[in-house]
Parts: sequence; C-alpha cells; structure tokens
Amino acid sequence: MIESLFQNILNALQWGSFYSLIALGYCLVYGVLLLINFAHGDIFMVGAYISFFVVTFLLGNFGLIPGLPHWAVLALAVPLVMILTAGVGVTLERIAYRPLRRKGAHRLYVVITALMCGLILENGNLALLGASRRNFPALVDETVITVGGVNMTVLKLAVIVVAVLSFLFLRKVVVKTKIGMAMRAISYDKFAVPLMGIPVDTVIVFTFVLGSGFAGLAGLLFAMTYPVLDPYMGAMIGWKAFIAAVVGGIGSIRGAFAGGFLLGFVEIMVVAFFPSTFRDLIAFTILLLILWRKPTGLFGVARRTKI
Amino acid sequence: MLSVENLHVRYGNIEALHGVSFTLERGEIVTLIGANGAGKTTTLHSIMRLPPPEAPRVTQGDIRFEGASILGVEPHDVVRRLGIGLVPEGRRIFGNLTVQENLTLATYARKDDSAAVQQDLGRVFELFPRLKERQRQLADSLSGGEQQMLAVGRALMSRCEVILLDEPSMGLAPLLMFDMFRTLKHLNEEGLTILVVEQNAKVALDFAHRGYVMDTGAIVAEGTSAELRADPSVKKAYLGG
Ligand SMILES: Nc1ncnc2c1ncn2[C@@H]1O[C@H](COP(=O)(O)OP(=O)(O)O)[C@@H](O)[C@H]1O
Ligand SMILES: [Mg+2]
Repeated sequence: MIESLFQNILNALQWGSFYSLIALGYCLVYGVLLLINFAHGDIFMVGAYISFFVVTFLLGNFGLIPGLPHWAVLALAVPLVMILTAGVGVTLERIAYRPLRRKGAHRLYVVITALMCGLILENGNLALLGASRRNFPALVDETVITVGGVNMTVLKLAVIVVAVLSFLFLRKVVVKTKIGMAMRAISYDKFAVPLMGIPVDTVIVFTFVLGSGFAGLAGLLFAMTYPVLDPYMGAMIGWKAFIAAVVGGIGSIRGAFAGGFLLGFVEIMVVAFFPSTFRDLIAFTILLLILWRKPTGLFGVARRTKI
Repeated sequence: MLSVENLHVRYGNIEALHGVSFTLERGEIVTLIGANGAGKTTTLHSIMRLPPPEAPRVTQGDIRFEGASILGVEPHDVVRRLGIGLVPEGRRIFGNLTVQENLTLATYARKDDSAAVQQDLGRVFELFPRLKERQRQLADSLSGGEQQMLAVGRALMSRCEVILLDEPSMGLAPLLMFDMFRTLKHLNEEGLTILVVEQNAKVALDFAHRGYVMDTGAIVAEGTSAELRADPSVKKAYLGG
C-alpha cells in the first residue's frame, strides 16, 4: 500500500515535470506580454520533432556523420534542441506577434493569431512529414531499478531533476538579472521601459527564447520517455499545461511550476482510485473547484505584478 | 540643441498638433505651458519617439537634435544615444520593483562598470535622501512626492543631458513641489538642460528662463519668463488675471 503510494507520487512528479516545463513558457510570455501564447504546446511538439532529427543525425542514422556514442549525442542534443526550438519561438514572435504589436492590435487578435500559429505548426508538420508516427531512438539505459518496492528509471528521475533545475534557473534569471528586471518592468508598465534606454523588442525576444528553449527541452525529455511522436502530441499536453499555469496563478513562475505538479498529482491520484477513463473528467473538475475558490490561481495575486 | 519644426502629428485620423515649433538650447530651462488637452504631452512623446499605441504619428515637420532629424530614431536610442530623458506624466515608476531596482534598470544599456553605476546611485541618493532610506522598498509603497523623486532619479541614472518633465508639480504638496524645483534648478546649474511642461503656469514661469504657451495643438505665445508674465493674454488665461 505504502509502496504503491510512493510509486504514484514518483509517477505524478514525472508527469508534473512535463506540465511544469511547458507551463513555465506560457507563464513567461504571459507575464511579459499579457499574451496567452496558444502556440506554445505546438512549440513543444516541434521541440520533440527537432529532438528526433537532431538525435537521429548525431547517431549517424542519416549516414551524414559517423555515429557518436550515446552520452555525446545526449550532451550535444540538449543545447542544440533548445537553441533550435528557441529559434522557432522567436520566428513566431517575429513574423506573427510583433507586427500586430507594432500596429497596437487588440489582445484578442493576438490570441487568435497564436491559436492559428499552433494549427499551422501542427498541419505544417503533417504536410511536411506525413501522418506516420516517428519512433524515437533509445538513448539511455532504461533498466528499471527497484528501491523498496518502488520502480524507477534513471530517465524518470532525470526528468524530475531537470524540471526542478529549470525552475530554479528561470526564477534566478527573472529575480536577479538585469534582463529579468526588464521583463518584470515590461509586465508592469510597457510604456516606461524604452524611457530607461531598454529596447523592448530585445527583451521580448529573450522571453520567447527562454520559453521556447525550455519547451524544446521538455520535448526532448518527453520523446525519450514516450518515444512515439505525432503532430498532435503538443495540443492536449499544451492545453493541460496552460490550465496548470492558470490554476497556479498565470504570470507567477512559482505558480506555473506548482500548477504543473498539482495537475500531475491530481491526474495520477484519480487514476489510482477510479477507472482511467474518468481521469480528465475528475482532474479538471478538481481544478475548476480550485479556480472557483480562488480565481487568481494558487499563487496569483490580483495586482499588476506578473512573473 | 533640440528644435521642433512645424510639427504636425495625428492620433489615428485626428490631428493633435497643428504645426508646433520651438527650440531648446544647451543649459536652458524652457517651459511649455497650456491647459489640459493643449498637446503638451503629445509634444514630449513625439520627441521621445515612443511607439504605438501611446505615440502620435508625425505627418509633417521635423524634430532635430544637434541639427540632425531624429524622426527615425528608436525610443531607447533617444534615451541612450541622444541622452534625452523623459519624466512622464503620472511618473510611471515600476511599482513591482524596488526603489533600487528602478534606478539600476535605467543603467541597463550602459556599458560602464558597476563602480560608475554605484557612483551615480550615490549622487541620486545625495539629491534625494528619502530614496536612500527606502531603497529596498517596492516603489508602489512610496508617497507621491517620493515617486516623483524616483522618476527624476531614474532619468538621471540614464545619464541624460536633456530632461523633459511632464507636469512634475502634479499632485505634489506646495513644499514638496518647491523642493523638487529647487533640486532641478541645482541640476540645471550643473549643466542639465530642462524642458518642463506645466499647467501650473505661475510656478513654471518662476522656474524657467523662457517659455512657450500652447493652446489646442499650436504655440500661441512665446518669450522670456518675464515677458510672458507681463503679457495680458497670458495673465488672463493662465495666471488668474
Ligand atoms: N493616445 C491618444 N489617442 C488619441 N488621442 C489622444 C491621445 N493622447 C492624447 N490625445 C488627444 O490629443 C490632444 C492633446 O492631448 P495631450 O497631449 O495629452 O494634452 P496635454 O498634455 O496638454 O494635456 C487631446 O485632444 C487628446 O484628447
Ligand atoms: Mg499632459
């Protein structure tokens, strides 16, 4: 009994890690721009596909380079995937959101644009790569270790550690660095930021780099853990991560992080006691109740401070 | 140093300035006075090249700094490359940052080391000791007068040579207001060029060397402070008879 509890907690932490990593990106962009970047889940999906191609390439499976050992593939894949996925996020910002911002468009149009960008990424992928699913090559040893009756893999633990470290890193950036200070300043009053000699667009690009980079990292870890990729994999998990960010208190980094884990826990615990077809129904009912009690989310505050 | 030439600007399709011209020389204190809605803030935002939606679009005329047009300059470059600072109407300090963060944020783009930043910080704290006492507090918690000090301090931290002030007296108790103008006068004697926009014409003319009177998007009178004070129409409209 106690073992199955620990097992469930571990599983919840791992699921929660994916939600958290994606929710952090929603949160950063929302905090700075008040833009709900609905394409973010699909950026995660693109991150997973980028991971597929980067890893396949580095393993030498395309025959372009002699294959590298697995540890080297992993060490190179992490920065490469993050940089390339960040590039995708920045490209969206550049061609879709910035022109609207320049024209002073109403937020509604920007959100619709974000939704469309997500659909374009999904269907662009479908058109380009076809509907067949991709199998992600195995990179790490997946032997199951059993400690006190609880099953775990190195990968499972690594996912949790990476999520926690990512949170600490992002928090540090936002709280301690000058660019983080500029991000907080934009979230409070965008008008006065250029008056400080700060190029607002540069700070916004940096925000997208962070958000998308970590979505890419989530994509890599997800592909390693659940090695079947399809173009719609980002849609559902993206929506859920978004809801997690809102329940945590959108705009608060701590909230996004906690919200992701909360959703992970609720889902796993529901499955532990109910048939798995009930999972989303009960999970979202619980989240609805939380929002009903606390509309600003767990860590959200009803003031203008974001992130 | 700064000259605005026949400036016409629009918000959407509505023209807000209909050919405004004035100049500001190095070392001067110049004031732009006029009633609410005259176009004073619009003029300052045009000079700062602020982006939409706040900013008006220039349809005719020019703004020159040291002889060169600045219409194509980005707002952050107006601050950091040209050294023009704005203390906006309503202060617009960052309430979610501490006093010290507000001040260091203005050094964002500066390439010099933290020693120089510390030195500037010391200078601002010397001018406004209240800010030093409150440096670790959130700027939200400051009183109106302290927020105004912070807004001016922030502009100084960006090392501006010209400072544009949009209604600095607004909402300040008389004592605080005189303190603020005394400090600004002192900064001017040290070389800071000042353009101050005011509805409170009496205070502004006492403070400035020269002034322009603005009405519904146009300059309607200009002269030294003494001349404007003696002008019957200015007297009647802005100085209470
Ligand atoms: N953002 C804006 N959009 C549309 N019209 C504006 C905007 N800001 C100011 N105006 C209009 O421009 C005119 C001048 O306003 P403003 O420059 O704020 O005057 P002042 O600062 O002298 O009180 C007013 O008629 C005002 O309604
Ligand atoms: Mg005004």
